Amino acid sequence: MSTLSLEHELAALIVEALKLKADPSSIQPEAPLFGNGLGLDSIDALELSLAIAQTYGYQIKSTDPEIKTMFSSLRALARAIEKNRTK
Amino acid sequence: MSTAPLIRLYGPEDVLAWEADGPRSVAEFLADVTELADMLPDQRSVLNLFSSRYEFLVGFAAAMVRGHVTLLPQSRAPQTLRRIAGEYGDCYAVTDQGDPVEGLPCVTLPSRGSRSGRTPRSAAVPHIPLQQAVAVAFTSGSTGQPMPNRKTWGALVSVGLAIGSRFGLKAGLCRSVVATVPHQHMFGLEASVMLPIQHGLAMHAGRPLFPEDVRTALVEASGRSVLVTTPLHLRACVMAEIALPSVEMIVSATSPLSRELARQAETRFHAPVNEIFGFAEAGSVASRRTVAADEWHMLDGVVLTGQDPEWSVRAEYLPRPIRVPDRIAVTEQGQFRVLGRTQDQVNIAGHRASLGDLTQKLLEVDGVQDGVFFLPEEGQAPLTRLTAVVVAPGKTGEDIRRALRWSIDPVFLPRPLVMVPKLPRNETGKLPHDALRRLVEQHSDPESTHEP
Repeated sequence: MSTLSLEHELAALIVEALKLKADPSSIQPEAPLFGNGLGLDSIDALELSLAIAQTYGYQIKSTDPEIKTMFSSLRALARAIEKNRTK
Repeated sequence: MSTAPLIRLYGPEDVLAWEADGPRSVAEFLADVTELADMLPDQRSVLNLFSSRYEFLVGFAAAMVRGHVTLLPQSRAPQTLRRIAGEYGDCYAVTDQGDPVEGLPCVTLPSRGSRSGRTPRSAAVPHIPLQQAVAVAFTSGSTGQPMPNRKTWGALVSVGLAIGSRFGLKAGLCRSVVATVPHQHMFGLEASVMLPIQHGLAMHAGRPLFPEDVRTALVEASGRSVLVTTPLHLRACVMAEIALPSVEMIVSATSPLSRELARQAETRFHAPVNEIFGFAEAGSVASRRTVAADEWHMLDGVVLTGQDPEWSVRAEYLPRPIRVPDRIAVTEQGQFRVLGRTQDQVNIAGHRASLGDLTQKLLEVDGVQDGVFFLPEEGQAPLTRLTAVVVAPGKTGEDIRRALRWSIDPVFLPRPLVMVPKLPRNETGKLPHDALRRLVEQHSDPESTHEP
């Protein structure tokens, strides 16, 4: 899958998993997901990690080398999933 | 003056904590405490912001040795820290993350490298007077403005020992404690710090978030662990498709655990799930095995006093009887069931109910994932109606209302019933009043609800 279509797919997954009531295409690929961006918190991170594990077979953990950057934006998260996915 | 030792039931070479880079022995711990105590300034109050549970304990112990009081802020948000530092003028911080509060003296632990070569000066376990005030916990924002609650060393020791004795830890059943809860939180301090150090157990210094983190922490703690956690983390672990090591026991608190989730967690971890009931003013006071009973059993040394509807808890270590913030029904055996928060008593058109009860009924509706009943600002209309905020994907407000008609008196049916994607729960799962009010304001536009 191309990075771009993975980003689209992931945006839809985020909106669904976190019940954001937003149009997936409105999530800017480079905008922050947490804090001032979409305003997600650690409980959202936990929720999102469950959806990612179920969809892509990637169990996120706090010791992942890219953990600090992967939740920084949709694009970074897509990149981390592309690298670590098992399905 | 009566005292109690800082730690119990360890030998000098026993592991007291598992840090990211390996074990910390009791001898290393005592040396760290002595070294940090010597570095602390003369101010009497300390904000302990260490993110490692082990370093937090070193800071807490060093402060006690110096006779200082550790402040336990509800959040690490800069404005919260600034406000508390302002209220306790005689204040400094211990931290691993630079200056946390502008203008506050800051102390960090010397680096590990510089510490490892030294000769421990003292291997003696400090004894702390039972009456010494050692911590201030702030009550939850869900009952209004945060209020300070002073804790003595005697109170913390008593609760730590009572939790252990309730769950049979004295028998040497367990070896370590892994916790997902913050150690700056009252329950976290009691169950993830006091519990291990009063029973000779090794604490895991981390604070695992993701299920994979929990798995790793349990492996690092080398088995036979007590997992101290919350319903939110338990749910994530139950849903994750990973093999989780078995644990000896799970202790959950901070928000009510459903019996179904408790049952799933028991299966997943091959261990009993126990719940603790407590509140910041008194600390942990009762427990139950969630799958087996609705009734809470008082911890050793705590008794209920009073009569319906107002009950208090009494214990030797508490300065006075402390009002139970929830409405409870007390059984003849001195156990109790929680009916709802006392402040949550409502009277609608002459009918009395508890918002906690109503919320429970709402949560039992098929398809409802989360939800809450509350009383909007009064005085706007001759007859105040309740508001309910509900998370139920795929359901309409009318579906929910129809189901509620079966379980609650019609006067309590919510108007409005607002469907939202999620509730503004904080990281311990609670719902601050302000956040809830803001959420309803945001969704008060009829277009944004699923109202028929």
